[in-house]
Amino acid sequence: MTARSWSLGGTRRVPTTFLVARREVRMRLRSRVFVGGTIVMAALVVVGIVAASLLAGKTTPVRVGFSGGSQALERSFTASAAALGANVTVSDIADVTAGRAQVTAGTLDVLVTGSSTAPTAVVKVAIPSNVDSALYLASEAARLSDAGLPPAAVTSAMALVPVQILQPSKPKENQNLFAGLAVGILLWIALGIYGSQVAQGVVEEKATRIMEILLATIQPSRLLAGKVIGIGLVGLLQLTIVGAAALVAVQVTNVASIPALGVAGILGDLFWFMLGFLFYATAYAAVASLVSRQEEVQSAIAPISILQIAGYLLVYAALPNPSGPLATVCSLLPPFAPILMAVRMAASDVPFWQVGLAVALTVASIVGLTWLAGRIYANAAMRLGTRVRFMDAFRG
Amino acid sequence: MPALIPASPEVLEIDHISKRYGDVVAVHELSLDVSAGELFGFVGRNGAGKTTTMRIVLGVLAADAGEVRFGGTPLTFDSRRQIGYMPEERGLYPKMRVAEQLSYLGELHGMTDAAARASARHWLQRFDLQGRGDDELQSLSHGNQQRVQLAAALVFSPTVMVLDEPFAGLDPLAVDVMSAVLREQADAGIPVIFSSHELELVERVCDRVGIIDRGKMVASGTVDELRAGGRERRWVDVPGAPDGWDVGVPGVRLVQVDGSRRLFEFDPGVDDQALLQTALATGPVREFEPVEPSLGELFRAVIGEAGA
Repeated sequence: MTARSWSLGGTRRVPTTFLVARREVRMRLRSRVFVGGTIVMAALVVVGIVAASLLAGKTTPVRVGFSGGSQALERSFTASAAALGANVTVSDIADVTAGRAQVTAGTLDVLVTGSSTAPTAVVKVAIPSNVDSALYLASEAARLSDAGLPPAAVTSAMALVPVQILQPSKPKENQNLFAGLAVGILLWIALGIYGSQVAQGVVEEKATRIMEILLATIQPSRLLAGKVIGIGLVGLLQLTIVGAAALVAVQVTNVASIPALGVAGILGDLFWFMLGFLFYATAYAAVASLVSRQEEVQSAIAPISILQIAGYLLVYAALPNPSGPLATVCSLLPPFAPILMAVRMAASDVPFWQVGLAVALTVASIVGLTWLAGRIYANAAMRLGTRVRFMDAFRG
Repeated sequence: MPALIPASPEVLEIDHISKRYGDVVAVHELSLDVSAGELFGFVGRNGAGKTTTMRIVLGVLAADAGEVRFGGTPLTFDSRRQIGYMPEERGLYPKMRVAEQLSYLGELHGMTDAAARASARHWLQRFDLQGRGDDELQSLSHGNQQRVQLAAALVFSPTVMVLDEPFAGLDPLAVDVMSAVLREQADAGIPVIFSSHELELVERVCDRVGIIDRGKMVASGTVDELRAGGRERRWVDVPGAPDGWDVGVPGVRLVQVDGSRRLFEFDPGVDDQALLQTALATGPVREFEPVEPSLGELFRAVIGEAGA
């Protein structure tokens, strides 16, 4: 056995950053935390979408049965109901007693008895107001007709007042708000999980002392870059799986198309995760490199965690008015942009320049943070034992 | 201080390196060289500067002054990557599989995936761990983890080996395996330098020894050279001689008396035959025996002198 019997592999050199990233990906994909976490997150999103589609589809028609003379009202009632936006089905009820029993049993919502000019409505608890109005219009028309008014005059007499809406309400506004909230929560959770994985990974290498062996063969900046990239890719993969699950769930449940749950919307969210992760991961790595024990990680990363929590709370402040000044300004600031801008984009239409500005500011701050984190990390990585002071690590 | 030999292809030269931590001088103008095929033992008290010196060689610490060269050229980041290093503070990933971990480190040092795997297998076999490659490191016993740690320093076929206290915490069998492997590496033409507190082991295993104290190299050479550097001592037994028979012999000092036996120390360059002739003149000489100090005794003598 000579010392050089194992070839170093000639000229084929894999970049060390890639090797570090590959190790992170392999180790983490294998862990139960990743598999379990992905399943839970995907399941929650799918359940949420299915539940939303069930709630949204709950415009089941009001079943109205007519018996006796009132059956003459069926046609004009159906027309009036349609004009009033009430969703109804109409049926003939031969026997009033049987009809009452159906109302009691809940298989019929409204039973109309009596004559066409003086009908009576039988309901279990209450009658929907637009059904009530449609019934009134139908019986009023019957009375006018009965009084000898020609059909054309009846129609014109019963005409509804035209309403001109200046600011039409968006029927999907609530859905968009929910989508925005879901995006905010998911991004916040993912950024928290993967950011703290970076922090813990950095401290793990110091705590287990493997740092000294690693730094004898790889530059600190490359070790840090490999770790951040590797963990970031794992996070991106997890969110992509969750996003794909959401897309499939949307297709299957056929829930009314929400822009935030389309391919473009989900790609946008993944993009914001990437930016947010790069921002927070580098910051987490820098502060985590100051300590040497796992127990100290939480207190070391606290200042950045607080910033992240603030971003999360701002989601609730911004959602009611996604285009208001608070939401607009905060969604441009780098610490909050990755969550807030994604939420605003899911919940409303955001002017293009605002998105561009938020991206530009975030990218610029990532560049600055990377420089700072690289410096802190390189200076603090080999200082084992007591906590390194930030300014000491900065000065080197 | 030994003069540095001229640069030759496979010599590791540490040339007047210094390092201070604030007001504390950790290493001061320390120089030493280790040739290809040489096993160099580095001894010194705790805090003498051994670990600091090794970290500077590896580049995980920057020296304030001085230079480390290999084959005549200053070490660069790339040439340092070919140094097999075993830090004093042992560490590997506890939750990573043993074989995977070794081949990962091999790849980090520039090996191809296949070569790194093959080498990891080889070293696991060499350390009798062939069945444990797929186990997580943390499931191994302390002794086996130490073997993996050494394998981690060997896996990429280093061109220089630097080991900080490689024998600490090893059982006698593991010590034998470790010293055999280090000998093999040196015999294969690699400069090997390691530190240890176990002076007997260093004396037995090393070709040359360096004694460091308070950041300075106070003595270095083969154990014989260190002995030669000290003063010659001899036990002399002249049973019939009167007290004071030795008075007047120049350059000789009486150190100890044990019955009729006397231990003398000679000043440097003094011929021991003068004392022998004086002894023979007083009566029959039963003993005229040189004292061979152990490395431990030399160490204490040197450190004592340096401290005085």
